Amino acid sequence: MNVLSALEWVESTNLSTAIREGALLYPIIGGVHLLGIALFGGMLVMTDLRLLGWAMRRRTVSEILEQFRVWKRAGFVLVVLSGLLLAWAEPLKLYRSLSFWVKMALLVSVGVHALVFRKGVYEDAKALDAGLTPRAKLAAALSLILWAGLLVTGRLIAFDA
Amino acid sequence: MQGDSFFELLTTTPWAKAMNGPEWAFPVVESLHFVGLALLVGTIAIVDLRLLGIAMRRQSAGELAADLEIWTRIGLALMLITGPLMFSADAVNYHHNPSFQFKMVCLSAALVFHFTMHRRATRPATPPFVAKFAGAVSLALWISVVAGGRMIAFV
Repeated sequence: MNVLSALEWVESTNLSTAIREGALLYPIIGGVHLLGIALFGGMLVMTDLRLLGWAMRRRTVSEILEQFRVWKRAGFVLVVLSGLLLAWAEPLKLYRSLSFWVKMALLVSVGVHALVFRKGVYEDAKALDAGLTPRAKLAAALSLILWAGLLVTGRLIAFDA
Repeated sequence: MQGDSFFELLTTTPWAKAMNGPEWAFPVVESLHFVGLALLVGTIAIVDLRLLGIAMRRQSAGELAADLEIWTRIGLALMLITGPLMFSADAVNYHHNPSFQFKMVCLSAALVFHFTMHRRATRPATPPFVAKFAGAVSLALWISVVAGGRMIAFV
């Protein structure tokens, strides 16, 4: 089975049709996706700004990272799950969208980023309380760039033909 | 339609023409609107969750609010620049869009609430139930603003 027929099958499922053609389902799921960005994007940005030493400097790095961690994870799950549902509704359109593929490449980069910087930054936040390292700042800067890239490419999908 | 002349005029302004010019203008401004969204609503939500007593419990709501205030304001500034830019691009239609009207009502309420009761609720001597109430109302108002915004494209 080739990719296109697999995507055609996805689009023929009841779930896909319901999200795509229902009056409310698509905007509601899109709203949840956006709310995930609104409610948890702030925590991601503040975590990175703390790692850069630009925000919340009265608090130690480990305090900020530890307290935001569970919320950021929950937000990530919410955004990914709602995103999957949105993708399930119109896979053929996304398959032809350049912005979608750039976004997926950025998403893979987010995974690589997490693996690369786990050691020395996110899992070793206590060590950063003594002073921010160039590695921590690099992790934060890259994280902000990746996040902004995901936002822009996500938005651009709607403008691709 | 009667009463639309101001909004028609808005669509002929230089910045509205710029928004309707190159294909990338609108999505770029919209993306910046989302960055502002995460800063504005994201930082307020952090304080709300603290007021509700379910996040960031190692510092007081007042400390959190003070640390985040500048970022909330940067987010607000970004929203107040990018929002009207997008509005100008298609002012007459937005003006008549029920979701847009809903969003503006909720936004006004959310902003007034933020700079009055919400701010007061982050003070040290606030009774817990008042703090919880303020956090819940603030979250509900901002969620309504975001939901109303999302629906604009669908009505």
